[in-house]
Amino acid sequence: MNNTHVVGISDMKLSTNPGDVIVTYSLGSCLGVTVYDPKERMGGMVHCLLPSAAAAKEKARANPFMFVNTGVAMTVRRLVDLGADKNRLIFKAAGGANMRQDRIFDTGVRNFDALMKLLERNHRQLTARDVGGTIPRTLFLYLDTGRVVVRSLGKESDL
Amino acid sequence: MSRRDEILLACEKVVAMPTCIRKAGALLDGPETDLVRLSRIIEHDPGLTANLLKVVNASDLASDRPVLTANEAMEVLESPEVLRFFISTGVAPYYVHVIAGYDQVPSQFLQHSTTVAIASRELASALGLDAPGHVFTAGLLSGIGKLLLGAYVQVDMRQILHMVFDEGLAFDRAEERMLGINHAELGGILLERWGLPDALTRVVCHHLRPDEYDGRDVVLDLVHVGNVLAKMIGVGLGADGLNYEVSPRVVERLGITSEVLDTVSAEVVVELQSLWDLFLECSDDFCSV
Repeated sequence: MNNTHVVGISDMKLSTNPGDVIVTYSLGSCLGVTVYDPKERMGGMVHCLLPSAAAAKEKARANPFMFVNTGVAMTVRRLVDLGADKNRLIFKAAGGANMRQDRIFDTGVRNFDALMKLLERNHRQLTARDVGGTIPRTLFLYLDTGRVVVRSLGKESDL
Repeated sequence: MSRRDEILLACEKVVAMPTCIRKAGALLDGPETDLVRLSRIIEHDPGLTANLLKVVNASDLASDRPVLTANEAMEVLESPEVLRFFISTGVAPYYVHVIAGYDQVPSQFLQHSTTVAIASRELASALGLDAPGHVFTAGLLSGIGKLLLGAYVQVDMRQILHMVFDEGLAFDRAEERMLGINHAELGGILLERWGLPDALTRVVCHHLRPDEYDGRDVVLDLVHVGNVLAKMIGVGLGADGLNYEVSPRVVERLGITSEVLDTVSAEVVVELQSLWDLFLECSDDFCSV
């Protein structure tokens, strides 16, 4: 049976069923990251609120998916545990928006920077991104092909 | 007649804010619905809270002082029977299926409003401020003008978004250019007409541009940043997205840093998890587009 898995804020879902779809709604400054193994046709999506657990270590222990640095790493670990090959994984990201002309908080920018640092440290690349700006985004991952779609303001585009 | 006057005229006829049909049903279920459940539903719903504050502040029950929060209102009403009477007559008689134009179903509006309320209160706590108890209510009601515009006025969202993205206007400024009024001012005006206390209506009116308020109000500052935080967290975001301005003066006045913001964001998301049942109640087929 094929399912649609909804990822909440500070949450992660993964699937090994090629018929499944994973989706997360309402990405503001949060970063949605998809991780997909095209050979095993399995993947996951994480919806991270904040860049790093530095400001809230207790919360990271309780829920690592709240933070980019712990959330993406944990998603990869879970997929590898299920049989994915770390070297085959494809990473895509969406979200990381910021308030208009805001250079004070910059949460969206900090979230994306945290992802890039993590990938760099692990010698991995980001294949595609739709980040920044001021728009809300919905992110889909189709497990059959690894297709990633971003929907915003009624329009859909492939990532 | 200008578009602004048309909108104000249309909103003069509004006697109660709408809520979703299932929630209205839950409130009117009868004696088996306990007071704790009623209170929880009302205090997390901007439409129901506004309606309750309207009827209570207009009644003889609240003659000695203005009632500023749903909790105070329920204390004034004293008994579940009186509360149910008020609910059946003026708190929950209307419902909506969609907040047209703003690309938000009622559950999204509810989620977003609740997030603003919690964020405003948590921000006060993180900053060690002894903020008044109506911070939560002011945050909850801050976006109510959007509910009005969405439910009672035909808003052409495409034109507003065109101004936002092609002309670089903040969303509220584009609303103003297009409609002659923005949703914050409209919400403030309506709640003032309804007799809600000034401590609430001025926050609703100025929460998007607190620098335009001629005075100093810590609740206004907190709700301004609480609204920013809620938009960044993203819960229930509508088509307006993050297209609003942050006041550097308020940020400086409150002494907010990105560390404070991160801490509060994490607290808010954790607290929201205990409220999903309220949001789900409002997101079935009846209420979705």
